[in-house]
Amino acid sequence: MSGPADRDGVREVARSAARAFAEAGDLAALEEARVRFLGRKGEITALLRSIGELPLEERPAFGETINDLKSEIEGLFESRRSALGANGAEEDHFSGDATLPGRRATAGGTHVLRRVVSEMKAIFFGMGYSLAEGPDVELDYYNFEALNFPVDHPSRDLQDTFYVNRDILLRTQTSPVQVRYMERHRPPIRIIVPGRVYRNETPDPSHAAEFLQMEGLYVDRNVSLADLRNDIAFFARSFFGADAKVRFRPHFFPFTEPSAEVDMSCFSCGGSGCAICGRTGWIEIMGAGMVHPHVFRYAGYDPDAYTGFAFGIGIERTAMLKYGIDDIRRLLGNDLRFLGQFWSEAAPEVAR
Amino acid sequence: MKASLNWLKRYVDVAEHPDTLAHDLTMFGLNVESIESLAPSYSGVVFGTVLECGKHPGADRLSLCSVDAGRGRPLSIVCGAPNVRAGQRVAVAVEGAVLAGGLRIKRSKIRGQLSEGMICSSTELGVGEDGGGILVLDFDDSPGASLDGRLGQTDYVLDIEITPNRPDLLSHLGIAREIAALYRRELRPPALAPLDGGAEFRLEIESGADCPRYTAAFVDGVAVGPSPVWMQKLLRAVGQSPINNVVDVTNFVLLELGQPIHAFDRDALAGDAIVVRRARKGERIVTLDGVERELDPSILVIADAEHAVAVAGVMGGRDAEVRPETKRLVIESAMFEPRLVRKARRQLFLDTEASYRFEREADIGVMAAAAARVCGLIAEMKAGVPDARTAEYVHDRGALESRTVALRVAQTNRVMGTQLAADDIAALLDRLSLPSRTGPDALAVSVPTFRRDLVEEVDLIEETARVYGYDNIGRDETIRCGTFSIPSPEDRRSELVAGHLVARGFAEAITSSFMDPASPGKMRWDDADERSRCVRIANPLTEAQSAMRTSLVPGLLDVLRRNTPAEAEEIRIFEIGKVFIPAPGGAGLPREDLRCTAILSRQADPLQWMQPQRECDFFDAKGEVETLFERFGLCGSVSVSETSGASGRGVRWFRGGKPFAEAFVVARPVLEAFDVEGPVYCFDILVDELPAGAQWPVMSPVSPYPAVKRDLCIVVDDRVRFYDIREAIAGEAHFLDSLRVFDYYRGGHLGEGKRSFTFRLSFRSPDGTLDGMAVDREVQRILAALHREFGAVLRTE
Repeated sequence: MSGPADRDGVREVARSAARAFAEAGDLAALEEARVRFLGRKGEITALLRSIGELPLEERPAFGETINDLKSEIEGLFESRRSALGANGAEEDHFSGDATLPGRRATAGGTHVLRRVVSEMKAIFFGMGYSLAEGPDVELDYYNFEALNFPVDHPSRDLQDTFYVNRDILLRTQTSPVQVRYMERHRPPIRIIVPGRVYRNETPDPSHAAEFLQMEGLYVDRNVSLADLRNDIAFFARSFFGADAKVRFRPHFFPFTEPSAEVDMSCFSCGGSGCAICGRTGWIEIMGAGMVHPHVFRYAGYDPDAYTGFAFGIGIERTAMLKYGIDDIRRLLGNDLRFLGQFWSEAAPEVAR
Repeated sequence: MKASLNWLKRYVDVAEHPDTLAHDLTMFGLNVESIESLAPSYSGVVFGTVLECGKHPGADRLSLCSVDAGRGRPLSIVCGAPNVRAGQRVAVAVEGAVLAGGLRIKRSKIRGQLSEGMICSSTELGVGEDGGGILVLDFDDSPGASLDGRLGQTDYVLDIEITPNRPDLLSHLGIAREIAALYRRELRPPALAPLDGGAEFRLEIESGADCPRYTAAFVDGVAVGPSPVWMQKLLRAVGQSPINNVVDVTNFVLLELGQPIHAFDRDALAGDAIVVRRARKGERIVTLDGVERELDPSILVIADAEHAVAVAGVMGGRDAEVRPETKRLVIESAMFEPRLVRKARRQLFLDTEASYRFEREADIGVMAAAAARVCGLIAEMKAGVPDARTAEYVHDRGALESRTVALRVAQTNRVMGTQLAADDIAALLDRLSLPSRTGPDALAVSVPTFRRDLVEEVDLIEETARVYGYDNIGRDETIRCGTFSIPSPEDRRSELVAGHLVARGFAEAITSSFMDPASPGKMRWDDADERSRCVRIANPLTEAQSAMRTSLVPGLLDVLRRNTPAEAEEIRIFEIGKVFIPAPGGAGLPREDLRCTAILSRQADPLQWMQPQRECDFFDAKGEVETLFERFGLCGSVSVSETSGASGRGVRWFRGGKPFAEAFVVARPVLEAFDVEGPVYCFDILVDELPAGAQWPVMSPVSPYPAVKRDLCIVVDDRVRFYDIREAIAGEAHFLDSLRVFDYYRGGHLGEGKRSFTFRLSFRSPDGTLDGMAVDREVQRILAALHREFGAVLRTE
């Protein structure tokens, strides 16, 4: 037992009381500990008695300290007693069986297409692209004319179009945002444009009448085909894994020149040829090219001052490739059992 | 475009395997979609082995063989070929087989000996000339294995996707030209020396704009008959059925040079004339397909002196069709304005090989040569005697010359990201038959008429890049860092809403932007509701997909009906998507609003052991909206009112007087119209109205003093609403920190027409600990005010 004037001694009493109560496994042991500290012959009483040894002027302050200590220890005792409960055993936090399932909330999740778009956005944001958007119901002017699809030209047959009237249609591509954005901004421009597009096609396992596309556009001085290849190669590796390779095949789009279709090495066979890639080892993932000077002229840019590239990625197609989805129509089918497969971060473990 | 490899080999050497050729062409921009191997097909021709071979007892020149053809026992076959020997691997036509010429094999006796089949020669198999004996196979297989399609591989057909800018590739010569460029080989075009003009013939072109060039060649002494076998084979390979020598030669030249050719029966042309003019209003023609068509002045026709004999560039007419008895021909090789052809083709629903090419623009330089090619072939196959002279019309002779297009070296490198010299570029283009004169900074490239796609500098840059090889560009793998990504508050906002709802247990759906135009009626929106008018699609896939959605609710109800398994317990589904509200008056683009809509149904939470499961209700839906608003810091600026629309009763939230969110229970007639079992609760938020993060929170001091809590239970008339009481309390109380309702009760022992609320009021001052007595006085004041306004009394028992 510590000396009366020793304030540290007072703290020590509080600590040893807390320890003793915690160690008490049942009510009897707790009562024993209570008597030891709070009983008539307990430590608190002893401390109060020792007050007489102090100089007169220190006695009131010391008395107050001891009273605080007493309340504190009583509090510790009460909380321990209620924890031990009426029957004196440890309170049952487990209803007797901790292996019962925990209280669960309803599980939710994002649509796999949002997941794909979000992943793509993150990659392109990291490369310095910003986000832009445009209307789904679009003017013929932006969807075709300003993109160098002349009126009454066979290039318009490349895309079966839903029309509202002569001048208004459902955009067949996210590319109309190119001219819309360039009309309002000056270079450098580096944007991605995710959005829904529409084609008047009868749906089948690989075609849908409405689907998502992500447009990319980079316009500045001296942007080249080499820059396009590098950005796309970086994207493919980020999105599909470090082994992904891309190849560019010359193609034709009215609003880019040179134009290319971009193939990615088949993620399934790695390029040796399998059923997924049609035994070619390559899978087409997007169309791309250098912005056509006519498009710059429509947007009011000097084609001798600026160059740029554009690309368009099919989101559904990419999702189907990445997640092994066999029919594009499932993506608009909204079967919750289908959608739930893409809620977890990793492939779900097989239930035992 | 289907291209026969044998046909291509007439103009360029190809030693590569077809698979290699297909890959190389694809990487050169001619996407080969498929390769078909052509080989004769027959049934009942099998692999066999000659076991024994002896002399036929009754004929010196015949052999009697025993052949293992996988039939369980050796077959006895009489064979007339001098080269048959024991041990040979042969093609055996067994009983029932049908050979190339249609010959059917039967069991028969030949000079008294049973023959149970035939050992085949190349001729019999249709795979080549037999050289006087049976075909001895140079590969091994098990006896009896079918040889269908495995012998005498004769040709490969490449199906090549031709983009609309390259009409020159809609011909074998055009594709051969690309192969020559690809492999740096010599191109051997057919002899194409044009004939002289000046023939005596009435050729009238009404408008040089409609028909810039027309060559008419003439053939007398026509003998209509079959075309030569080599030509028939090539035509068949690419899917054309041979008809007769005249028709076949026009088709052959079309597919060889890409120039559509039409042959008229000259004796059927009234007035011995060709007039190219617009059709007269109401003029009629029976086209080759036997259909009578009505024309109008937007359609260009070929006419004789009296009436139309062909729809220009689309299809010929039956009246001047070549018949077996035809004696004299007029051969048409012409160019028509592409838009006119496209218009006529679409108006008449007539897609032909000719219209496809004319629409993409014919090569104005080739007409006379193509006519000469037709005449040359007709003479060669003795199908008639061509006239040495043609009748020729050319609107603008200058158009027949090569164009010169300038190509700057610096711009080429700037676009490609390369460092090519002028000579490098010239060499690349030269491979494509594009000669150039090289200056220090630029090239003057001479573009022949067949490359009508090359009109400006960038077109030549593409060709340079293509021959250089796209995959030889940009191998440094560096990313330019010339820009910063600017965050989009709007994008972040919708991601935040989605993320919040997902964490709240909602599954995201994505439904169609299309809506059944019957949906507004099924939703019972009245005419004043802007959602009841929609943007309509002029050419929809189906009637049910002929409008643009004005709300996400119908789509989500469909998800509930069609895609939600009956056993699913907690239904919490949301969608964030655009809706389309027509512009006032219907002109111009519609307004596109981003909405977040959710439906809740069935159970509120999972079935589990520690609590009874509860069915969800309206307040689940409403609470989700309130929780979301809290996330966006929306409390004070939002007002709410009850709604009782026909589609459902609930509440609507307003900001600045504008409604922007609602929660409601979907009305029973709506559920019935959508064939959905209820109850279904719904909320719908205009995402565009949520704060987009333009303003961020600013700290305000947190009171360090304790709160004092009081519970207050009052009874009021059953018509008194919570919102009004809350407003009254908030208006009256000082130091009120929070107010929550934790009990609510109606009727029962309170008596009919009464309800009670129990509030937990929490008081707190920023300046000091509140005195309990003072708080009690506040509660008394609140109670007095509630009594005054609503007749509220303290619930006593």
